[in-house]
Amino acid sequence: MALHAGLQTDETTLIRAAQQGDRDAFEQLVRAYDHSVLRLAMNLLRSPEDARDVYQEAFLRVYRNLANFRFDCSFHTWLYRIVTNLCLDHIRRKKVRREEATVVETGESSLDRLDTVAEQRADTDPERRLFSGQLRMRIKEVLAGLTPRERMVFELRHYHGLRLRRIGEILGASEEAAKNCLFRATQKMRAALVDFK
Amino acid sequence: MNREMTCAEARSQFWLLEYGELSFDEEERIETHLDGCAECRGARERDKEIHAGFDSLAVDPSASLLRECRAELEARLRLEPPPRATEPGWWEQFASALSARPVLRLVRAPVGALAMLALGFAAARLAPSVLNSHLFPGAVQAGMNRVRDVHPFSNGRIQILVDETRQRTVSGASGDPQIQALLLEAARDPADPGLREQSLDLLNKRAPSSEVRDTLVYALRHDDNAGVRLKAIEGLQGFAAEPEVRSALSQTLLSDSNPGVRMRAIDLLTGGEADLNSGIGPNLNLDRQVIGTLQELMQREDNAYLRQRSQRILEALNASTEIY
Repeated sequence: MALHAGLQTDETTLIRAAQQGDRDAFEQLVRAYDHSVLRLAMNLLRSPEDARDVYQEAFLRVYRNLANFRFDCSFHTWLYRIVTNLCLDHIRRKKVRREEATVVETGESSLDRLDTVAEQRADTDPERRLFSGQLRMRIKEVLAGLTPRERMVFELRHYHGLRLRRIGEILGASEEAAKNCLFRATQKMRAALVDFK
Repeated sequence: MNREMTCAEARSQFWLLEYGELSFDEEERIETHLDGCAECRGARERDKEIHAGFDSLAVDPSASLLRECRAELEARLRLEPPPRATEPGWWEQFASALSARPVLRLVRAPVGALAMLALGFAAARLAPSVLNSHLFPGAVQAGMNRVRDVHPFSNGRIQILVDETRQRTVSGASGDPQIQALLLEAARDPADPGLREQSLDLLNKRAPSSEVRDTLVYALRHDDNAGVRLKAIEGLQGFAAEPEVRSALSQTLLSDSNPGVRMRAIDLLTGGEADLNSGIGPNLNLDRQVIGTLQELMQREDNAYLRQRSQRILEALNASTEIY
């Protein structure tokens, strides 16, 4: 608890310094969060180019509006609010343009995010391999079938380990609404994966 | 007493149970059900397996991508002005101070009225003496000359060292480097907006150069005269694709006090009203920064026309009109 309070104080000091125009302080803030920001954008948008755009836009917005940040919420919540909504915009635009694809380009080469399932479950049994492949395909369909908001809540809860209360704060919703959203997402996934049980 | 949970109800909650997002009571009901239902225990194990399967799908961005992002951000930040708070005006601060205390809240209206009366009285008293600069001809002269040193002598006389500005006429072709340098200098003259506007106008007619661009960007960002800023936007048309110029235009769109200047800025940023009216739609290559600027504009813009323009462009791009 004391450690957390200490970190919070450090962050507050950094924010206040950055608000006064201290570029080094701002850079330290960026470094504290940018990996998780890029990871979130990468997993949701599945494109390094789009993730890079979100990264740039998010931190530029933070920089431009930092002077008006009044500590009404945590810096983390504020930053994630910006990032998640930039991502939601991207997802919605992609859906409209029918550019939805599950291929993730990692920067060096293209990689199907879902192909990693097979690597994790390296199985010499052909029947089991077939099962894994089918499961992968089904998971692809399930994720594509979730609404942007459901995907966001699922991503934040499953991959970023955020509690529903925090997710609600980030998305400007109540904890109950975030819970309902996660419930719907998990129900859709359970229904789609029922054959694999 | 709670009724017993059905198998379907229990299974629908398995993932939330896995995430630890159920209340103590909800968890208890599921655990009770699982104790008496072997089928659901099996289903729970299979659910756990699939749930864990998702873990392996996470992708971590490569170190090189993170490095590139940081470098790009650093470069873009160099073009940004330092963060500046939107300070509340004196009236907001005054009203806020009154609102903060319940006792003061009761007297807010009469005190406010009194303050306005006092302000009006003071303004009427002070304004003529401040505004009538002809009463202080020396002050006007001081703009031309600068006193460097003052030295009193024992006989009562005073020696003053004055820097005098001497006038001379320089003429040459518009492409003459000396003329160009003087025009660039005049475009930043703090005392004379007319001179700045005319100089920018002449610079705009010259072939584009980085010096001209920098001067135009400077004028757009810092000149307190709207006419000069409009002239700067006019000159920036040839540079509209450059990141620094787009950044300045975005800043102008969000913070310029003059709606006319903001209108010209949005035109230049988004490719102009003509594109929208032609039915072709706006320039679909608008970068994320501009989309973000337009979304931000929707939140803070008072001018209905600008909000409508921004909304139409965002809708044409299938972008949200909200900022978060």
